[in-house]
Amino acid sequence: MDATDPIIEMRNARVTYDDGETFVLDDVSMAVERNEVVGVVGESGSGKSMFASAMLDAIPDPGRLSGEILYHKDDGTTIDVLELSPEELRKFRWEEVAMVFQGAMSSFNPTMKVGGHFEETLKAHDADVIEGMARAEELLADLYLDPERVLDSYPHELSGGMQQRALIALSLVLEPNVLVMDEPTAALDLLMQRSILMLLQELQEKYDLTMVFITHDLPLVAALADRMAVMYAFDLIEVAPRDQLIGDSGHPYTRALLNSTPNLDAPLEEMRAIEGQSPAPINVPSGCSYAPRCPLATEECREVDPEFYETGVGHSTACHHWERARETIDLNFEAVEDDAVGADTEDHA
Amino acid sequence: MVNYYVRRTARVFVTIYLVASLTFGLVRLLPGGPFTLLRAQLLRQGVPADEVDARIANLQNIRPDAPLWRQYIDYMGALFQGNLGESISLGEPVVSVLASAAPWTIFVVLVSTILVFVVGIFLGSLQAYWEGSRFDQLVTGVSISLMSVPFYVVAVIALYIFAYQFGWLPTAGTVANGVERELGVPFVVSALKHSVLPILSYTLGAAGGQALAMRGNSIQVLGNDYVQVARLRGLSDRRIATRYVARNAILPMYTGFLLLLGFRLGGTVILEQIFSYTGLGYYMISALNANDYPLMMGTFLVITVALVLGVYVADLTYSKIDPRISAGESDEAY
Repeated sequence: MDATDPIIEMRNARVTYDDGETFVLDDVSMAVERNEVVGVVGESGSGKSMFASAMLDAIPDPGRLSGEILYHKDDGTTIDVLELSPEELRKFRWEEVAMVFQGAMSSFNPTMKVGGHFEETLKAHDADVIEGMARAEELLADLYLDPERVLDSYPHELSGGMQQRALIALSLVLEPNVLVMDEPTAALDLLMQRSILMLLQELQEKYDLTMVFITHDLPLVAALADRMAVMYAFDLIEVAPRDQLIGDSGHPYTRALLNSTPNLDAPLEEMRAIEGQSPAPINVPSGCSYAPRCPLATEECREVDPEFYETGVGHSTACHHWERARETIDLNFEAVEDDAVGADTEDHA
Repeated sequence: MVNYYVRRTARVFVTIYLVASLTFGLVRLLPGGPFTLLRAQLLRQGVPADEVDARIANLQNIRPDAPLWRQYIDYMGALFQGNLGESISLGEPVVSVLASAAPWTIFVVLVSTILVFVVGIFLGSLQAYWEGSRFDQLVTGVSISLMSVPFYVVAVIALYIFAYQFGWLPTAGTVANGVERELGVPFVVSALKHSVLPILSYTLGAAGGQALAMRGNSIQVLGNDYVQVARLRGLSDRRIATRYVARNAILPMYTGFLLLLGFRLGGTVILEQIFSYTGLGYYMISALNANDYPLMMGTFLVITVALVLGVYVADLTYSKIDPRISAGESDEAY
């Protein structure tokens, strides 16, 4: 994972609860390149949301975050987010890195108009309100919303998809460089998910955004991401460029995950659920956390927690037996479907 | 929209009309009937029989020997003109008795209910912010203890300690005897002194309940995503506390406030008895004891009308306060 021009570098990030007894983010290191779209996938309870929150040092109490979160500003200086004073942190969030949450429906104050949220955000960051509101209107228009109507509405007067788009506009109103999205489309229907994704892609190009997109929906993020990362049991297990990860993943879990994904091309009988369940944060197995469920697990796996192996260009896999995994675990779909996923993201990769 | 307000307003009048009819009927159902007892009382006092009959006939606008429907029409007609008849025991028009009594009751109920909410909201939100702290546990304990003690017990104890033992505050009445009944400093001071204990005992227990309600609401609101998002957006703690948490936590309590205002008017029946505080409740009890049924109906009517108006105002204004409720949809809520 040698980043050439990283914007955020996470180093040995750990989130603990109960005075270090339980880890919900276990020694995660990852660099996000400037202007790329990173998709982070993982099942429920794998620590995805913690990963997202860690980037803004926004772990909910009483969780404790340790490690380093380095942020490289546009002017070349580097700051450690965890070292910031409360006031600096307040400024950092939303001005440099903004975040969109799972529940757009519950992200707005129900007793305040949507426009009020934009105004108070601008005021809280001492930004020019008139200029900022003009930007807000442009953003809303970019997202195919009627700015005047939306700003003058209460949240409950908007549909779920409109709220989600308004929330995305709100997150971009201070022109952050990075947008972290935690399951931004989870509560929406398929068509709306799709269209929001397209809009995000347009926004990313227009505003040169770096995006970190967290989801449990692998095919969804595959349409958008340049690079993908897979989380399992509170740690990253594989990071690779999108096509590489889908077509030639080296981790047994990633391959199993791909095989368990509903797919029109794959016959139903070839869909494979992954046996067993992922560990709870209190008893993560020593050694490789996937070993108890892994068909390839050996004594080595149970004893030694695998480091990342270089398994291709920009491709890192935390598995001792990545070569064997590629040989023995067949993917139940043809990798060629990538063309259909989104040829227009190709040039970013 | 207009339609809703018209319908809602019409319902107020229908309700009041029904209440008036009900009081008319209920009082007449009292065992022995109001006049039988009065007659017996007067006779027992040695008043000659014809004089008793004459007095009863004179007493008011209702002729007790007329058929019931006739009495009803007379009663409603008089009521419509604002004539509630004449009090049997006091020998004064009921309206003037009520007019002199109502301000005291309204004063005590209004002040104590506002205090209940102010204290409750203040304590409750502090508790929510320091959830699980010593302070939280202490206030919760005290609140529950106070809630489980009825206000009249508090009243009797307070009266015993502060009025009889220490003599700091007067034991009875609304104003001291020597003070002239006109607006001036001595009058106001005396009135305030007399109202301290009733207000205190009427506030204490209920405030605990509201504190717990506010605590629960606030904790629920604090757990909402929009509070977390607001923090991430860098809003000041002060703005989040007022505009986000307090506002959303207080909203559900607003209807409760107006309803409570009405209900607590009824509670003064006992409160004013303990403090011999000559308000509506006090007169209601003495009317009941004296079988003074015009006065009884009058006080009952005033208290019910106040409750009906409370609900009415709550219904009409709630949509103004909470944008999610638009008038008309919440229609038949009560």
